[in-house]
Amino acid sequence: MGRKKIKSVSYAKYGYIFSIPFVLAFLVFTAYPIFYTAIIGFTDLKGLGKTDFMIMDNPFQNFQQILKTPSFQKSLINTVIIWTCNFIPQLLLALLLTAWFTNQRQKIKGQGAFKVLFYMPNIITAATIAILFNVLFGYPMGPINDLFKLLGLADKPINFLINKWTARGIVSFIQFWMWYGQTMIVLIAGVLGINPTLFEAAEIDGATSRQVFFYITLPSLRTIMLFTLVTSLIGGMQMFDIPKLFLNGGPDNSTLTVSVFIFNQAFSGSYMYNRASAASMIMFLIIAVLSAILFYILRDKDAAKMKKELKKIKKAQKAAARGAGA
Amino acid sequence: MKKTLKHEPIAGRTITRVIKYIVCITLAILSIMPFWIMLMNATRNTYEIQQSSISLVPSSYLLNNFKVFEGKSFNPLVGFKNSFIIAAGSTLLNVYFSSLTAYALVVYHWKLRQPFFTFIMAVLMVPAQVSSIGFYQFMYRIGWTNSFLPLVLPAMAAPAVVFFMRQYLLGALSIDIVNSARIDGANEFYTFNRIVLPIMKPAIATQAIFSFVGSWNNLFMPLILLTDKKNYTMPIMVSLLRGDIYRTEFGAVYLGLSLTVLPLFIVYFALSKYIIAGVALGSMKE
Amino acid sequence: MKRILALVLTLAMVFTLALGFTGCGKEEQPSAPGGTSAPAQPGDGGSKPQDTSTPAPSVSDDPNVKVLNLWSFTDEVPKMMEKFKELYKEKHGQDFPYEIKETIIATTEGAYQPALDQALASGGADAPDIYCAEAAFVLKYTQGDAAHFAAAYKDLGIDVDKLLAEAEIAQYTVDIGTRGDGKLVGLGYQATGGAYIYRRSIAKDVWGTDDPAVIKTKIGPGWDKFFEAAEALKAKGYAIVSGDGDVWQAVRGSAEKGWIVDGKLNIDPNYEQFLDFSKKLKDNDYFNDTTDWSDSWFADMKDAGAKKVFGFFGPAWLINYVMAGNSGGEKPGEGTYGDWAICEPPVGFFWGGTWIIANKDTKIPKTVGEIVEWITLDSSETGLQYYWANGTLFGPGGTKDTVASGTVMKKSDGTLDFLGGQDMFEVFVPAGEFASGKAMTQYDETINSLFRNQVGEYKNGNKTKEQAIADFKQNVADNLDIIVE
Repeated sequence: MGRKKIKSVSYAKYGYIFSIPFVLAFLVFTAYPIFYTAIIGFTDLKGLGKTDFMIMDNPFQNFQQILKTPSFQKSLINTVIIWTCNFIPQLLLALLLTAWFTNQRQKIKGQGAFKVLFYMPNIITAATIAILFNVLFGYPMGPINDLFKLLGLADKPINFLINKWTARGIVSFIQFWMWYGQTMIVLIAGVLGINPTLFEAAEIDGATSRQVFFYITLPSLRTIMLFTLVTSLIGGMQMFDIPKLFLNGGPDNSTLTVSVFIFNQAFSGSYMYNRASAASMIMFLIIAVLSAILFYILRDKDAAKMKKELKKIKKAQKAAARGAGA
Repeated sequence: MKKTLKHEPIAGRTITRVIKYIVCITLAILSIMPFWIMLMNATRNTYEIQQSSISLVPSSYLLNNFKVFEGKSFNPLVGFKNSFIIAAGSTLLNVYFSSLTAYALVVYHWKLRQPFFTFIMAVLMVPAQVSSIGFYQFMYRIGWTNSFLPLVLPAMAAPAVVFFMRQYLLGALSIDIVNSARIDGANEFYTFNRIVLPIMKPAIATQAIFSFVGSWNNLFMPLILLTDKKNYTMPIMVSLLRGDIYRTEFGAVYLGLSLTVLPLFIVYFALSKYIIAGVALGSMKE
Repeated sequence: MKRILALVLTLAMVFTLALGFTGCGKEEQPSAPGGTSAPAQPGDGGSKPQDTSTPAPSVSDDPNVKVLNLWSFTDEVPKMMEKFKELYKEKHGQDFPYEIKETIIATTEGAYQPALDQALASGGADAPDIYCAEAAFVLKYTQGDAAHFAAAYKDLGIDVDKLLAEAEIAQYTVDIGTRGDGKLVGLGYQATGGAYIYRRSIAKDVWGTDDPAVIKTKIGPGWDKFFEAAEALKAKGYAIVSGDGDVWQAVRGSAEKGWIVDGKLNIDPNYEQFLDFSKKLKDNDYFNDTTDWSDSWFADMKDAGAKKVFGFFGPAWLINYVMAGNSGGEKPGEGTYGDWAICEPPVGFFWGGTWIIANKDTKIPKTVGEIVEWITLDSSETGLQYYWANGTLFGPGGTKDTVASGTVMKKSDGTLDFLGGQDMFEVFVPAGEFASGKAMTQYDETINSLFRNQVGEYKNGNKTKEQAIADFKQNVADNLDIIVE
């Protein structure tokens, strides 16, 4: 009475084969620079054009120094604040628009055009946007100031870019505005991946649009949502181009994000690559921890349960085999 | 199959409709605004722009600004060609190999699968600026300057795209499809190329757009690596226009920027069909 | 990764030491005299050894080399080569024998320097033979970390001492171009000594005359007089400057010592004064509180601001390339065109400029030397500077500009309609002597920027002076490798 052996192992090698191009390209083009960076965090490499460096006596000196630096601490706080103010509205709006645009029942006319338009801010380079917004909020004369005067909201021109909170708010807004279209598109692509039979079944059962969205669309979007959350988290923590170009971290370091801080360590004259690398590694750790948390929260509970069941079965099989053999 | 359901009052629905339209139109205007400004500025001259950076109406210097191009040996056609080669090349490699890798992560059960995925995620989290120094120094050392290769090849290793494709496959691909293909005698490559890839069209289209835009707008790495005039991409040429501190021809700069964005629109429109149309999934054989 | 990578890198290495210019951002250019640079430099300030060597007697070109590599960040110098080739043919009777390979990389994304540094370090056939450096980062290439790539002008066969005297080159450009070992490695062709550019009509209204000789005694010398003038202008409803950035350019140039002394951060009393000036300007409403290079600042050039502005600080290029176009007119009578004049500023300063440097490993030193000499030290009527000053490089009627050679300016015609017929060289020649390059450091761009940020906070009343200075010190310590006490 032989048991049928389930042949699933033979395909495993394709897993390796298919991954080879990625791995190769990665090792050559990304791994080396990153590795180099990690090592530098422990050395004293700084200054222009130097290529030799030594590991420092206290290998963690750079790390300690960075953690103590007030600008770094500020940058962490700023990054969190700006990211939160940017991401939450962005995700909500993107979800809302996704719901509207994938609503089978109430088709919005011109959906196609809208989707295209909403993505547009993502196409312009950050430099251009930074200039435009800088000009919009010009002081003492500028379009927004003029608007305020017109609407009677202020009698003297307001310097938006000098106040810490408005500056942060504007940076958050710019980030929001640049990315909401893209998030929306990603979510819509995800929705298009949901099996339409689910939707048909729901309609037959008489569900309202809202019910469909909350009980079918959202849960099925879990995998894509995880992607959005994680990449936004990572992208947000690494927010660089707008804070750098718009106000260069000002006023008074209130829009200084961690990436800008790192950049300044490396490129504002002293080329302190070692400190920049150490700060990058610290940031990496923080992001890793946060992502791990996200992964855990959004893990596919059913799949996890299944894995557990499979493990139990395997254990039982083994025990039975041993028992039978004994 | 549109049934009007009794428990949704018509008045409520109309109000919702109107709100939706208002919101969408407002957002649309907000999104279009910078482009409009850019286009308008492309028709103005430097001094007009310095006086008032934003204008909603065009001026008459468009041809003038084109002439500035000639004066500065700015050849948009060359720029387009180079940008296109790099962007298209990197997008194709990016999308194809990321899908391939994601497929490997989802469909096959192999020992290193989970660690490999974690590893990819880890790579994603390292801030980009710092690794780029090492990268371009490395390129200089192996003599790959003034070649498009360092700008195209690294696209094969794109963790974020792999991540996205993987998530998408997890949600959209049923292993039964693969199994039925295997039963039909298809080999793995055939299955991937002919059966799975079409299923991934929305994901591919989405990532293709992002990848193309990203590569097209990428300024820094090409700027450092491509020093020969005939290899310049559009963003490089536009940045050259801004070189003279006190003699920058802003009108021409905006014109250059507008020209740079134009092809992106075209590509976007071409690919957005896939997202809008909603490719029918569930090619399950029932 | 691709999207983040691409977007972040798109403008990643923005503004390293290069011009931090994006059209509407603040423009910071270190000017200050002298050579106190990175801690590793020998000597402080002006105490460099004298170069008493003689120029290399026989310099020759390698006959196998056919290409001359020219690196620049604008097309200004490459375009000059057209004229040079013409003159070469006339002088030598044969065509210019080399193919000029130009590499132009803009500084706006901070990419020029990394590429140039890489090319210099890699050496070989693609290394630059001649390269340009802007005022914002020239110190690095003449005295700082990249100075060892530069060739001494004398080694190119240029008779430096004789020509310097003949051409009466502005001292500050020589100071900046002289390396720590005393050798001259770089010179600028354009002089960017600054003047005070003021409105004739307003001068007449307040003091009854628009004569530069008189006005210069009203606004200076020295800042006390300047503020007295500010008060007089205010009484009649005028602002003396547009924003505090204008005053900053002049203050920058008048520090005795630079930001770094003996490897430590040093706040020169002149810089500290600027904190007070800024506040004074704001509290007394002497200005329109604009930010330089913003729309409002440009608007003040044609009287479109809250108050009419009396004057701006700047070198010739500010007049010809910025103000003329923004004056609201193209000939006298239109807008503010023609209603301007210049006089010496309360303190001397310079702002901007391009230095020409040659590679010490060049295989064609004779020709390179000829080119460099033609651009920087030739004060004859066929020298570059003569064409440049008179605006005749590409034919008649071009824009005039001030040049490094006092001799050339004295024999050129610098009258401008924009200045109501005044000859700008009359003021800029002495202004060039006024300016000093002694208090510059490699880090000026960053430190200046950090400083101005804090000044802004104090000016707007957000911080006390002590707090602003303390925060400034902290920021410098955080971002740069300088000892801060």
